[in-house]
Amino acid sequence: MKFDMDYIAHNNELSETNPYFKLFLTIILLIVTLALDNLYFDIFIFIVMSIVILAIAKINYRSYLKFLTIPMAFLVITCIFLIFFFGKGDVIYETGIFGIVVTTDSWHYGIYTFFRVMACLPSLGFLALTTPIAKIFHCLDTMKVPKILIEIGLLMYNTIFIFLNEIDTMQKAQKTRMGYNSYMNSMKCLADLISNIFLRSLDKSETLQNSLDSRGYAGELPVYVPPKEE
Amino acid sequence: MLEVKNIKYSYNKDYQALKGVSLKVEDGEMVALLGKNGAGKSTLFLHLNGIYEPDEGQVFIDGEELKYDKKTLLKFRQKVGIVFQNPDDQIFAPTVEEDVAFGPLNLGLPMEEVQKRVTESLARVGMSGYEKKAPHHLSGGQKKRVAIAGILAMRPKIMVLDEPTAGLDPQGVTALTKLLKELNEEGITIIISTHEVNLVPDYAKKVFVLVDGLLIAEGTPKEIFSQPEILEQANLEVPIVTTLFHDLEKEGFDMENDYPLTIDEAKEKFKELLNKQ
Repeated sequence: MKFDMDYIAHNNELSETNPYFKLFLTIILLIVTLALDNLYFDIFIFIVMSIVILAIAKINYRSYLKFLTIPMAFLVITCIFLIFFFGKGDVIYETGIFGIVVTTDSWHYGIYTFFRVMACLPSLGFLALTTPIAKIFHCLDTMKVPKILIEIGLLMYNTIFIFLNEIDTMQKAQKTRMGYNSYMNSMKCLADLISNIFLRSLDKSETLQNSLDSRGYAGELPVYVPPKEE
Repeated sequence: MLEVKNIKYSYNKDYQALKGVSLKVEDGEMVALLGKNGAGKSTLFLHLNGIYEPDEGQVFIDGEELKYDKKTLLKFRQKVGIVFQNPDDQIFAPTVEEDVAFGPLNLGLPMEEVQKRVTESLARVGMSGYEKKAPHHLSGGQKKRVAIAGILAMRPKIMVLDEPTAGLDPQGVTALTKLLKELNEEGITIIISTHEVNLVPDYAKKVFVLVDGLLIAEGTPKEIFSQPEILEQANLEVPIVTTLFHDLEKEGFDMENDYPLTIDEAKEKFKELLNKQ
């Protein structure tokens, strides 16, 4: 099954609920979690928000797991570094390699960072998985967030799907012609893919600029207010 | 009326894409621009609303010359709407309605008017009910319709379409051609670039042939498709119906120099031939 976050955001039980409420709830949860620095609270938030996402928004648990795995990989790596390479204080474990040690300090940092991020993930996920991006941008706009940020976000968000599609197509084309069949070959294929996608992006950006200009773009994306539904 | 006078344009000093193109399209006409890949069709189109500024030559609309200052450009871009070949290049907003609203909002219209135009344009292309959808969840044909709605919402006098049928399925092609013909009947001048020679005689009153940055022929479909040397230069072929009658002539049927281009014409011709025997 392909993980399409945008599709999920448009098709779940909470898509139509007030986006302002969701945005504020997320922001408050993030701030509280980061400020409190309390392990039990972190775990509590993780469980509660996961229940909200799975049981109330009725998002498929496999999609939710996929959403968690990618940042989780970064999180684990970060925490390993924190535990082994940072901090001062009493040594509690010696690895015996190059004098790398775990100290009380670093252990504390590692564990707390891990759980704090663990609590933040479903909080963010709650917003990202249940709210279509257009609504989030709309909220930010009425909250007087600088226009330039919203515009960059908007254009990036839209082009990212075209970008991913291009990568997918190119990768398939490479695989069809025996690409990625050995380690060295994979490296070369990936290098080709990256340089090619860069050139294509430049090309696409020019065409997009032309098409925006054709419709009277004057350097600022206007905001459309849809008619009220009866 | 749209008039292009002796336009020249180079991408760099070694490659001149347009080598002096002049053409004239009257109000309310529906014309086709034929030419092989890389003949300069898209480049020419981007001159029609001032996206590209020619090295030499001018563009006129209703006798008024296109100047490249902000105000004139905005006016011309409202009058001449371009539908790009790939809808993904054109549709950028997160929802269908926001994308259609983009043009009219740039024109500075009041919100109520914009809402009215969005609803109307989407209804016109048969996409009512898709207002809140994300464009990347639509099919190719639907995206094309949204792209056209985005242009219609600006109420252009002239609509320019770059290969509108490319990448559509056969029913999509038929539906789109029908839509364009209807729009033309409602008074919009339509200019289409295409390779689909089979459909051209059906809608186009006038055909231009562009080869390597030069306009080598213009005329009615009948005139153009009866000149094999022009078709040869432009990598084109006669419509498939016409091929049939050329073949029949080789087998001894007298065509009296009249080769049908469309299914309707072919039907008449067959009846005529059958009655003769």
